[in-house]
Amino acid sequence: PQDSDQDDEEDKRRVRQKGAKAPRRKAANEERDEESEEDQGKRKKGGRAPSKQEKEDQNKEKKGNVKGKDETNKGSEKDKKKKNGNSPASSSEDESDEESMSEGEIAALKEQVEEKKKLIATLRNKPWRMKRRLVLEAQEFVEKFEGALGKGRGKKLYAFKVMMTKKLIKFNRDFENFKTACIPWERKIKEVESHFGSSVASYFIFLRWMYGLNLILFGFMFGLVVLPEVLMGLPYGSIPRKTVPRSEQDTAMDFSVLFDFGGYCKYSILFYGYYNNERNIGVLKFRLPLSYLLTGVGIFGYSLMVVIRTMARNANEGGDGGDEGEFTFSWKMFTSWDYLIGNPETADNKYASITTSFKESIVDEKENQKDENIHLQRFLRILANIMILCCLGGSGYLIYFVVKRSQDFAKMDPASLTWFQKNEVEFVMSLLGLVCPPLFETIAELEDYHPRIALKWQLGRIFALFLGNLYTFLFALFDEVNDKLETEQELKNATEWAIHEYNANYSSYYNTTDVPPLVVNPADAVRGPCWETAVGIEFVKLIVSDMQVTFLTILIGDFARAIIVRFLNYCWCWDLEAGFPSYAEFDISGNVLGLIFNQGMIWMGAFYAPGLVGLNVLRLLTSMYFQCWAVMACNVPHERVFKASRSNNFYMGLLLLVLFLSLLPVVYTIMTLPPSFDCGPFSGQDRMYDVVMETITQDLPAFIGTIFTYATNPGLIMPAVLLMVLAIYYLNTVSKGYQQANLDLKKKMKMARDEEKNRRNNKDSTNQVMKDLEDLLPNKSLIPPPTEEDKSTKMKPGSAGKGVNLQKEVSLAATNPRGPVAHPPRARGGPPGHLRGPLPGPGRGRGRGAPPRT
Amino acid sequence: PESSSSLLLREEEIEDIEEIKKETGFSHRKITRLYRRFTSLDKGGNGTLNIITNGFFPEGEDQVNFRGFVRTLAHFRPIDQDNEKNKNPSATEPLNSRTNKLLFAFRLYDLDRDGKISRDELLQVLRMIVGVNVSDEELGSIADRTIQEADTNGDGCISFNELLRSWKTWMWNR
Repeated sequence: PQDSDQDDEEDKRRVRQKGAKAPRRKAANEERDEESEEDQGKRKKGGRAPSKQEKEDQNKEKKGNVKGKDETNKGSEKDKKKKNGNSPASSSEDESDEESMSEGEIAALKEQVEEKKKLIATLRNKPWRMKRRLVLEAQEFVEKFEGALGKGRGKKLYAFKVMMTKKLIKFNRDFENFKTACIPWERKIKEVESHFGSSVASYFIFLRWMYGLNLILFGFMFGLVVLPEVLMGLPYGSIPRKTVPRSEQDTAMDFSVLFDFGGYCKYSILFYGYYNNERNIGVLKFRLPLSYLLTGVGIFGYSLMVVIRTMARNANEGGDGGDEGEFTFSWKMFTSWDYLIGNPETADNKYASITTSFKESIVDEKENQKDENIHLQRFLRILANIMILCCLGGSGYLIYFVVKRSQDFAKMDPASLTWFQKNEVEFVMSLLGLVCPPLFETIAELEDYHPRIALKWQLGRIFALFLGNLYTFLFALFDEVNDKLETEQELKNATEWAIHEYNANYSSYYNTTDVPPLVVNPADAVRGPCWETAVGIEFVKLIVSDMQVTFLTILIGDFARAIIVRFLNYCWCWDLEAGFPSYAEFDISGNVLGLIFNQGMIWMGAFYAPGLVGLNVLRLLTSMYFQCWAVMACNVPHERVFKASRSNNFYMGLLLLVLFLSLLPVVYTIMTLPPSFDCGPFSGQDRMYDVVMETITQDLPAFIGTIFTYATNPGLIMPAVLLMVLAIYYLNTVSKGYQQANLDLKKKMKMARDEEKNRRNNKDSTNQVMKDLEDLLPNKSLIPPPTEEDKSTKMKPGSAGKGVNLQKEVSLAATNPRGPVAHPPRARGGPPGHLRGPLPGPGRGRGRGAPPRT
Repeated sequence: PESSSSLLLREEEIEDIEEIKKETGFSHRKITRLYRRFTSLDKGGNGTLNIITNGFFPEGEDQVNFRGFVRTLAHFRPIDQDNEKNKNPSATEPLNSRTNKLLFAFRLYDLDRDGKISRDELLQVLRMIVGVNVSDEELGSIADRTIQEADTNGDGCISFNELLRSWKTWMWNR
């Protein structure tokens, strides 16, 4: 492609030249000369570049050559071009390698290369350290540009190398773009972030992370448990646990039943009860029960690992969003706009994001500036905490009371209870969930924390509230499970007795000991209550109802409210948009906690309902789109947009806590409760973990069993735990030491910086700096001379008042860290700018030299 | 293929190409592409564009020719890593150096082109950037704060040198 491009270029150039008209060119030249007079002057000053006239001559010469060239010459020119492809000016960023160099440049390059070569040769007598550096540099240079001159080792190879490097760079860039494009919902989240600030975005990032985690958990569950059972297990209807009982068959397809996860749902792959207890299934001899247990536990292990790893990584990233260092506003002000934005929508987003980030910084600044009455503040904070503790205690007691009552109700005849009495617990729970968070928020206003810290407190408090919620649910569940276990035991005894009777009757009737097994249609078989499936159904129901509530809340609380406020505003007595109902704000704490507790339910429920994880993936997916839409369509940004930490470590910490809390009941059931005798992969075992023991004793070589016995010996476990504790203690100490060192270094850096600043301000170094800068700048004329003018502008009528009161007026301004300007006004001397004749620009009146007011 | 991508640079521009290349660091192909863009923008066909944004192009003119167009755009080229590393102190800085980029931004903010950004100018620009979403009081405090951060000689204005210095400190902190 490159060569053909070059050909194109070649042809084009030729055509152009043919069509050239001399007079026009001349005129244009003149015109251009006029405009670029300044440049020319500058260039001449630079002294290095050849003058314009020379260059033009060169160009003309070249053109003449080109004109005269015929087909045979073409090849050679192309070569020349190729080797010119890497002139020193052409950067690695340049996609094209078609750069032609002027003769002068080539000559200069040649010279340089020769020089470096000489340098390599004559370097023997330098000290070795210096020598090595110089040699390396020189060699690099020679290697880089020798090829360009068509000398040395293969220039074709060189051209190829250059081409490949460029291709590689381009490819890398494309790949980076591709990688960014592959991050799901990145654009959506960025859009939300630009309008609502990083705090709201942090929720969506957390949601995305959660989705990823659930996708992986779903992969485990589906690949190791569900799929094998579907592919290799017995089909539906073959055994009682996989069949809907006859009494339920009539209603098994009713929507109301299915919606409660009864009927066909209950006896489906979604729930624990469906799985068979065959030790291994299919041609692969897949050990399903073992796999079921290990996956159930592995999900916890994997989640734990991922959460902790993410937390550790985020901790490195560090910063809770607060510290930004110096010149925050200057840099937001001068560099936040991206001049390369070419898309109106992106521009809108950028616009919003700049606004948001300014607001965030303002909030941070205000927080820093606040000079508060410490005693009042402390008192208010303690008061608020006491009030909230009272609230929490009260709601805790209320929950306890209601649960107790409901246990009494459960013993009574269900028919005699009213609807309210039946649903009292749920009612109280949702009432608390509705009332408490806003109440906490109101009380938290007393504390007057920075919103970022306030959010953390709010999260912690609602978390405590929800814990009560969770535990009542679990207690109710365990009561149910114990009931079921009792009935199951009775049923089991009865069944065994019945079979025993049958056998005895059969043998006494037919007078034979060869009793044929009892044949019962799977739909008619006697079956236990299967408490695991019941628990699974509870969890699934909970998740589904939670989802409904979330979506309905958004639809009614956000969407309907937004519509009413928007359209009723035309005909209402007061301003609805600015006044009372207004639009909803995005509830970060509620949503984050909802997400976290939802995940807790998934962790707990996944063992009893393998389909739950899949359901949750769907839920998170829909909620991502739905909430993204809702937040953009119906919500307004918070009044105090604050900068959230880039690491969601607080969320992660809560998640870790919930993970731990949800681990407890599951491990408890696995280790202590007997599995149901007629359903699920562990039926027939005493305890669920017996499948592991079975595998160890039967399938693995004997010595592993012995090792396992030793490993589970308390005498070994205790020292191991002790060792771990010691390791944790040691690592903790080390990390604290590092932290301290870090802080010290930061302090030192800051001190050095301040010193530098003071030195600069106090000494008369300004001129030197100015001089350096002058040299750096091409358009020197634009820089204002640091003259007395600097001082006089302060007195400029337009800004006089502001300039004077600046320090007092500025509500955000920090105390001025700089020392007084100690140098005398004369010491600055005559600025170079003055010597350079009149300066361009309207606002630079000379007349302002003397202060108008004194 | 010949006609599809065929673009005729104006005769007068051809001679410039070498120079433009040298000045801006654009490759030939890029200049060609830019020229295509330029001619498509050039409604009058007389080789100049009417300037709609004042900040971008040199002052005092309401038209810009191809040369000026390319010069302005050269500010947006990414920074050459090589050039940054082994900088030749005697050479003039390329248009896409950090300093020039900064100068470009500075001139956008310096509305009255007196080489200084005053509080009023900052406020005007802020109103453009942040718009109506922020109260005037807050805008004022942002402007004050910005000036206070960067202004080292206490004249209540930001000059380019002050900006440059604060930028260097800032970069050093990263």
